[in-house]
Parts: sequence; structure tokens; C-alpha cells
Amino acid sequence: MNDKVKERLLSVLCAIISIGAFLGLWWWATQKTDLGNLLPNPGTVLKAMGGYITGTVGKCSLIMHTFNSLRRVLIGFCIGSMLGVSLGLLMGRYELAKAIFNPLYRIIRPIPPIAWIPISIIWLGLGEQAKIFLIILAAFANTTLNAMTGSANVDPQVINAARMLGAKEGQIFRTIVIPASVPAIFAGLQVGISCSWASVVAAEMIKAENGLGWIIQAGMDNNNMTQILAGIIMIGIGGFVLTCIMRTIEGVMCRWNKSGR
Amino acid sequence: MMKAKNKKWKYTLISICSVSFVVIVWYLCINVLHLKAETVFPGPLTVVKTFIQKLYTKAPDGATLPVHLISSLKVALLGYFLGVLFGVPVGIMMAWSKWVDRLVRPLFDLIRPVPGLAWIPMFILLFGIGITSKAAVIFLSTAVACIVNSYTGIRQTKEEHLWVGDVFGATNIQKLFRIAVPTALPMIFTGLRVAMGAAWMALVAAELLAASEGLGYMIQQGRYSSKPALVFVGMLMIGIVGLVLDTVLHYLERKVAKGMNAE
Repeated sequence: MNDKVKERLLSVLCAIISIGAFLGLWWWATQKTDLGNLLPNPGTVLKAMGGYITGTVGKCSLIMHTFNSLRRVLIGFCIGSMLGVSLGLLMGRYELAKAIFNPLYRIIRPIPPIAWIPISIIWLGLGEQAKIFLIILAAFANTTLNAMTGSANVDPQVINAARMLGAKEGQIFRTIVIPASVPAIFAGLQVGISCSWASVVAAEMIKAENGLGWIIQAGMDNNNMTQILAGIIMIGIGGFVLTCIMRTIEGVMCRWNKSGR
Repeated sequence: MMKAKNKKWKYTLISICSVSFVVIVWYLCINVLHLKAETVFPGPLTVVKTFIQKLYTKAPDGATLPVHLISSLKVALLGYFLGVLFGVPVGIMMAWSKWVDRLVRPLFDLIRPVPGLAWIPMFILLFGIGITSKAAVIFLSTAVACIVNSYTGIRQTKEEHLWVGDVFGATNIQKLFRIAVPTALPMIFTGLRVAMGAAWMALVAAELLAASEGLGYMIQQGRYSSKPALVFVGMLMIGIVGLVLDTVLHYLERKVAKGMNAE
């Protein structure tokens, strides 16, 4: 026990030292070298971030920009993962579904969602729809594969036992295949949410009026490095929060499965 | 035996039918029924024609398809190799030495949740729109994926195996290179493949935002000059190249990590 506390303390200490050293180096580089002309020092960034949160960047505050990005991600992610998971489950369980949809899926999957940005703008315009379409794609591409592997690898003994006890195909699918695939599905959702987050940032960088991607893009256009760094920090926080939420849900849903963690 | 073969044939046939069905519906909707104008949704024939033309014409974006492709690949591979050369050793060291872990992990945890392409604006301001800024973005995306996977891989080393090493008097270095690294190899390769996907995606994003050549630039120009067929060609090309790179890595994985749990 004592060892554990000691280890804890040591790692906290090391974290403080290394992050402190990093900030110190950053500060020193901006004060003493030419980099100062390009890069603001950490204090300036933090102060600016405080200003952005209480005041405004562009049309609304930093918090509202974050909410805009999060809203897009959540709408797109819910639709995309729902589609992806159901298609993946079907493809993993039924050969026929796999024969029909897998070749199409395999054509679409290697194209990164970001490469869809120009065509989605042509089809859906510059508004919300194009961005949500992209996130649907990002979530869909990542979740389908995992759901498919999950439902294809359900222990056949369990399925046969159920069949012997007289379960119908629908029952087997609902009560065995779906629950048994949950850990694999969550592995896909985990990848899907981070990919969706990256895609929303990219989509907002290409064309948007608000959102975190817009913040860093506008910062680049105005040569405002402070704004870019504040945006990057916020994007990092957003990504971190999203993965934490997914992990918590996964922990609850896969409590029965030790390897699910 | 015969039946299984028959079944396989049947499903292959269904697959072929489904793909051709989609292409035919696509053709019917666009070229016969004219549900959408070709300037919005090009028909399959237009896409094929544009692809062939693009192999030798320079309009409207100033370079042919092979030129764009090579310039994209050059940047992607440069950033990728630097990222791998940095990421894999750092991941291994973090997993192997407690002190490195304690010192580097907090910084790494700060950087990790930021998607690689969010750094694009900052790097463009720092390094300009040339090859350096793109390579730097790809370097970051690659390094993060490599570090995560090499770290997990090394951590999977069984303690019993290390004890055996101790019993036979292996030095720390020997234990690392003879026991831990081979154990981690499949995971490291997974990392390399994930990193390749991330690198390719970051590159396309960077080229969409600021570039003067490359596949991302080409599809962006296709949008500006409202030639969606060109966008389609670019997207398919991006997908195919991503697939080829992944296949190459998969092949390497099977060669190098033979006998380990690579399929």
C-alpha cells in the first residue's frame, strides 16, 4: 500500500516536472529566440483563452463554438454508428447480407472521410448537412467493420445450444448475437468517435462560420497564433471528454466482459 | 467439399451482381433518367472518361494525375518514416523504462487527444505551405499511433518470459531485444498500419487546406471548377492508394512477424 502511494506521488511529481519543463522551454523560446515573433508564450495563450470563454471569438464565445462542434459530432455519430452497427451485425451473421453489401463497403471504406468534403459540399452545400453527412460517413466506416467481426465471431457452441433449445433465428440474433458482439462494437465506436471528432474539425476548417475548426482556420487566416493555440487546446479537451464518455459507457455496458476493458 | 465450393461461387456471383446493380442504377439515374445534372453527380461513364483524360491532361489544376499522386506520396512517406523512426522507439522506451514513462507520458497524454489535422493551421503559419508543414502534421499523426501501439505491445510481454531471461542471466538490453520486442512485433505492426491510415488522412486534409499540388489539391480544384467527375476520380485514387499502402504493410507484417500472432 505504502509503495503504491509512493509510486503515485512520484508519478505526479514527474508529471509536474515534465510539463513544467515543457512550458518553461516554450516560455524561454518565445522570450529569448526568434520564435517569439511567431509563437505567443503560454501565459498569453491562457489569458486569451480566458478572454475567449467569457468574451467572443468571431460571433460567439469559445464555449458556444465547442457546443456547435459537439452537436454536429453527436448527431452525425448517432446516425452513422446506428447504421454501421446494424449493417455490420447483419453482415457478420448472414452470408447473403455479406455477399451483397461487403463489396460496396470495401470500396467506400479506404476513402478517408475527409476526402468526401469537396463532393459533400457540391451535393449538400455549405451548411450543416454537409458536415453531418461527413461525420455519418466517418462513424459508419469505423463501426461497421468491428460490428461485423464481432457478430461473425460469436461462439458457435452458444448459438447451437440455443438452437437445440428451440430458439428461432430472430431470437438467436436478438438475445445472443447482439449482446455477444457488444465488446467488439464498442471497440469500433471508440475509434469512430475520435475519427468523427477529427472529421468535424477538418470539415469546419474547410468551410464553416462557427465551431472549433473554424477558430483555428480563422486564426490561420488572420495570422493569429494565439487563437490557433487556444483552439487546439479546446479541441484536445473536447476529444478527451468524448473518449472519456465512451469509455464510461463501455465500462457499464461491458461489465460482464473482462476483456471488454 | 463440393457443396462448400458451390456455395462460395454463389456468393461471389451475388457480390458481383450487387456491385453491377449499383453501377447500373447509377447509370440509369444520371444518364438515362437525368435525375441529377452531371455537374452535380457525374455518371459512371464520365468518371471513367475523366480518369483516362486526367492521366495526360493538365487542366484544370496544372498537373496530371500521376504527378499529383507522386507529390502526395512523397510527402506522406517522408512524414510517415520520420514518425515511425521517432514513435516506435519512444513507445518502446516508455513501456520498458519506468522513468521514461513517468516523464514522457504526461506530455504525451496532453498531445494525444488532439487530432493530427488540428495542427495544420499552426504548422502552416510556422513553416509555410510547403512540404515541411505537411510532413510535420503527418509526423505527429504517425508518431502518436506508433507510440500507443508499441507501448501496449511491449506491455504485453509475459513476466514469466522475463523471469526465464533473468534465470539465464540475460542483461536488460538482451531481455528487451530478445523477449519484449519480438512479443510486441504484431502490435507494432498494427500501429504501423493505423499510423499509415492516419498519415494518409492528415495529408489529404492538409492538401485540401493549403497546397499547390497533390490529390487533395486536385479534388479541391475539381470542386472550385465544378467538375465533380474529377472529385470522384481523386477520391477513388485516394482510396486505392490507401488500400495499396495498407496491403504492402500487411504483406511486410506477415513476412517479418511470421509465426507470431499475425494472421
